[in-house]
Formats: sequence, C-alpha cells, structure tokens
Amino acid sequence: MRRYKTSYPISWRFMDLLEAGFAFVLPNGGGRLTPYLLLTPAVLLVGTLAVGLLYIGDSSLRVLDRTTFLFSDYWTLENYQRAFSESFTATIIWRSLAGAVIVTVVTLLLAFPYAYVMVRTSSALLRKFLLVALFLPFFIGQVVRAYGWLIILGNQGIVNDALALVGVEPLRLLFNYPAVLFGLVQYMLPFGVLMLAPALTAIPEDIEAAATSLGADWVRTLVHVVLPMAKPGLIGAGVVVMTLSLTDFAMPAILGGGSQDFVANAIYDQFFRTSDQGFGASLTLILIAVGSITVGLVFAVFGAGTLALGANRK
Amino acid sequence: MNFERKLNRRSLLKASAAVGATGLASVSMPSVLRAAEPDKPSELIIRAWGGPWVEALKNGVSDPFTEKTGIRIVHDLTEDNEIQPKVWAAVAQNRTPPIHINWDTTTNATKSALRGVCEDLSDLSNLSGTTDLAKPVGVEGYPIVNTYGYVYVLAYRPEAFPDGPPKSYHDLLDPKFKGRIAFYNDGIGFHFPAQLAGGGTLEDIPGNMDACWEFVEKIKAQNPLLGEDPDFVTWFQRGEIDAACTISTNALGAKRSGVDIAWTVPEEGAKFDTDGLWIPKGHSESDLYWAREYINSALTQANQQVWLDGLGLPGVVPGLTPPEGLAGDPSYPTKPEDFERLIRISGQIQVENESEWFSKFKQIMQG
Repeated sequence: MRRYKTSYPISWRFMDLLEAGFAFVLPNGGGRLTPYLLLTPAVLLVGTLAVGLLYIGDSSLRVLDRTTFLFSDYWTLENYQRAFSESFTATIIWRSLAGAVIVTVVTLLLAFPYAYVMVRTSSALLRKFLLVALFLPFFIGQVVRAYGWLIILGNQGIVNDALALVGVEPLRLLFNYPAVLFGLVQYMLPFGVLMLAPALTAIPEDIEAAATSLGADWVRTLVHVVLPMAKPGLIGAGVVVMTLSLTDFAMPAILGGGSQDFVANAIYDQFFRTSDQGFGASLTLILIAVGSITVGLVFAVFGAGTLALGANRK
Repeated sequence: MNFERKLNRRSLLKASAAVGATGLASVSMPSVLRAAEPDKPSELIIRAWGGPWVEALKNGVSDPFTEKTGIRIVHDLTEDNEIQPKVWAAVAQNRTPPIHINWDTTTNATKSALRGVCEDLSDLSNLSGTTDLAKPVGVEGYPIVNTYGYVYVLAYRPEAFPDGPPKSYHDLLDPKFKGRIAFYNDGIGFHFPAQLAGGGTLEDIPGNMDACWEFVEKIKAQNPLLGEDPDFVTWFQRGEIDAACTISTNALGAKRSGVDIAWTVPEEGAKFDTDGLWIPKGHSESDLYWAREYINSALTQANQQVWLDGLGLPGVVPGLTPPEGLAGDPSYPTKPEDFERLIRISGQIQVENESEWFSKFKQIMQG
C-alpha cells in the first residue's frame, strides 16, 4: 500500500487536487470544465501576446510628426511603404534570414553528433561531461558570452596570440558577418542538442542493431534508419534555432560591431534611438511575418515534426 | 537657415558680472523665503550616464546638493534613449515619471520638449548668470537647460601621424588607415564635417546632403570600425585604431588611462553639441521645486567647476578654469575664435532629420 502511494506521481496528485477544487467551486458540471479551466493560463498568456500584437499593429499604422513627436490620429500605410522602399530594410531582412538559415544548418550538423553520443554512450562519465558542457552555457548570459568572444577573437586575443606564435600578423576576426554567425552557432548549439536528444532517445537501439545485423554499415544505418526517425527532432530543433537566430539582437550588436545589424537591431534603433515607434512597429510586424512564413514553409515541406502530435506527424 | 556656424561668446563675458550678483543674492536669501520652501522629498532621482560621467556629476552637483539640503540623490543609470519612452508614457498616462531629472543630450531632450513633456525652467535664478550656450536652440524658452558643450573631435594616435595631426578628414582616406579608423555606428558627429569634406555647404543642411553621403561612401571603402563611446576608448587602448571621430571626453578618458592619444579639429570643422538637464512633467509641487533647485545648483560656478573638471568640458558659467592640459585645446572652446571651426546645428533640425541621416549612414556602411 505504501509502495503504491510512493509510485503515484506528485503531478497526478496535484491534478487530482485541482480537479477536486474545481468540482468544489463548480459542483454542477465542474468536472467537464476542468480541461478548459486548466487551459486558462495558456490562453491568458497567448491572449496577452495577441493584445500586444494588436497594439503594435495599431502603432505601425501611425506616422510620427517630427515637429511635435506625437503620432498621427489617423491610420496610414506610410511606415510600410517606407520599410519596403528603403533598401536598408531589405538588406537587414535578407541578412537576418540568410543568417538564420546558415546558423540553423550548421547548428544541426554540430548538434546531431553531440546529441547522439550523449544519448548512446555507455560511459556514464562521458554522458555527465557532455551534459555539464551542454548546460554550463545556460548559466552564462548571451551578452557575457558575446563579450567573451570579443576577448578571445580580438586583435590581441588568444587566437591572434596563437597565430603570432607561427608568425601570422594579427587578423581582424571580429565585426563581420562570419563573426556574428559564429557567435550565434555557439549560442544556439545547446538549444539544438536539447531539442534533438529526446527524439534520438525515442529511437530504440534495437532498430539500429537490427539494421546492422542485416548488413547495413553505420553510414547506411544513419541515413536510412536514424535520420528518418530523428526527423521530428531535427525539425523541432531547426524551427527553434531558426526563429531565435532570426530575431537575435545581442550577437549582431556586439560581434557585428555596428556593421552587421539584424532586423531586431533596426527595431531597437527606431524605438529607442530615433523615437519612431510607428516605424519600429512596422518592422516588428514584418519580422513576425518573415518568421511565420519561414516556419510555415518548413512545416509545409518537412511536416510539423515534434510540434504536431499524432495524425499529422510524418 | 536655422543653424549657427559660430557661437556668440560676448554674452559670456557680459554675464560674468551677473554671476557674482546671483551668488550674493543666494547667500543673503531672507530667512522668510527659506521658510516658504515646500516639504523636502527624501530623495530625488537623476538619470545619468555611468562610469566617470556619473562620478563627475556626483562630485560636482549631487553631493553638494545633498550636503546643502539633506535630500538624497539617487542616480538612475538607465540609458537616456531607453528612459525616454518610459517618461513619455508616464506623462501621457498622468502617472508620476520614473525620474525627477533627466541628464540628457540636448538632441534627445529637444524631442521631449517638442512633445511638451518638459517643465519650463525659464525662471531659474542662476540662468541669468549663464552664457547663451545654456539656451537650447530651436525651441521656445528653457524646457531644457544646457549645462556644457562638447566637440566631436578627430582623435588620433600621434604615432600613426608622424608628420603632425591630420589636417582633414581626407587624410583618413590614405590606404594605410584601411580598417584602422572608427566612427559612431549611426555616423553622429560626422555628418556635418562630411558634408564639407564632400564639397557641400552647411547652408544645404538638411535639404541637400549629397556631398555628405558621397564622402561617407569614400570613407566606407576604408572599412572603418563602427561603435559607441566605450568602444572607442577600448580600441585606442588596444591599438586597434589610429583615428576616430568621437566626443572629446572619450579621447580624454583614453589619455587619462595612459594611452598616447591626441585630438584635433580638422579643416572641415567639428560638430559642437550640448547636454542638458530637464524635468519631466507630472511631479508633485514639492518634488518639482526641489528638482528645479537641483538644476539651479548645477548652474553655480563652484559646482560646474568640479563637475566639468571630471568631464573635461566647457561649461555655461563664465570664469571656469580649464582642467589641466585643456587650456586652449580645441575640445575646450571658450573664446569666439575657438568656435570658428565648430559646427552647431539647431536641435530642432537635428531631431527632425536624424532618423533619415542615421538610416542613410547605416545603409551606406552596411549595404
């Protein structure tokens, strides 16, 4: 009896308690409403975001009068016209999008073997080491990590010091597009591994063993067995890494040195530097649209991956 | 055109007598007036920039104010760009603003003045003892009180210029400076000299700045570094750049930290601008009174001397002594001839056009 109580998960007990509470508050039909009531926090959270988006949408349709620094009382599409007519906007959108795609591909290429070894290794020590190495960066903020790279990759940094030992003149490794992408990959790698690991754990080792026993070498096993079965995880990780990269602010700002702005940096400039919240809001909605369309295309081509449970999962 | 190429310093001299009179008046303020002072708040919140900036303000203005009144001064180090929307929102919603006084660039403060969120400071008693630099250009009255001026000098490493200081921004186009020059990432401080370096005139600002953008295109080919104030000091300290268009305080900061650095005003001239103090609307009568007193105290000669010694900048009160080594320096203009090559454009023109200028500069540099 005691053993049964112990094995009953605490989360289930919590749910029982909630259900009892609902039944007490709503004695007639409270049970039927419980699932919907439990959805309330999520609905409120999403609803708050939706209301925020409505405000942003409203702002995006108002132009700033620079003689009074007040916004127009009427709606106009001028901010969008400006966004689509300024070549700088196109530059930063393409730079952000291309960067997000490159970072996603490179991150997945690096995250997959990491996650695979972490899941499959028989060495507890190695698994612990990989886990610690995976979680350690989460304790260090993105900005601190970016400044760390400034120290490492600077003209007088460790890398250039090492190059000097073999007679190479100091190289400018920072303040360019590759530096931003490098910083983003380093930042995104733990997210990629964390998203991939559950998908790889779900693949039974027996299936790989079966493929091997039927004559497949490790490459064929990887291509024909592991990768197809890991597809949901790859898609989930790809979507997370891509959306986070697309909207990143700190890496382009710090490692780009003011010369490699992403859309988020341009939005910051409009909101805070030039006080044009209307134009900033229009850039925000364009960024959301670009991100949503990109994710939609990924789902359309590859399926919804881990985000679609059940029937839609390919 | 609403710009001023030269500053009239005559009023600076004329005002010196008034300073003495104002000082005497404050010393001999009748006790009956002191008794009429409103209740003192326990603290006033002053937004400030960090590091040596806030240290200078603390030593020069805040500590003496606390000593005199007993009111504690809290320095809020939120960036001026980021506090601005919070203040605007608070005023629009009839809430108490998060700060009592904003130490702000005059350009940013002008936006708030145009928006109508600044208290009028025209009747501060110490204003009568200030030079015309204290008066913001392009707005009515004193919604902001400018407290000092600063120059966007061309700072350089003497070692990189063995034949003497760079005479012109054209000197930076020498191939040996490729990748070794720096500008603010939105080009602030460089737009106006670039207009002249590109063969244009100041009279064409803001209507026609093609000359500016043509010269910026040439500079872009030199692959400059783009950054903010702290970056310039770091880059000079590490020897990563040979020259930069930057506020003189940054160059002075690098020099004070031991870097071999000098600065000059090139033949195209240098942008001259001001910072100031202003009070957002929405505070209680007593808080407003003491906030105004704080700004008034920032305009006394004694407080300006200590505050601006820390910043190495010329103030708005006559009779200040330049910090060691800055007498006659182009970054410390005091005489009319010092201002001949300094470019001052009205705050209103700047705020109306800076978004376009920043965007165009970034488009060229990042395109």
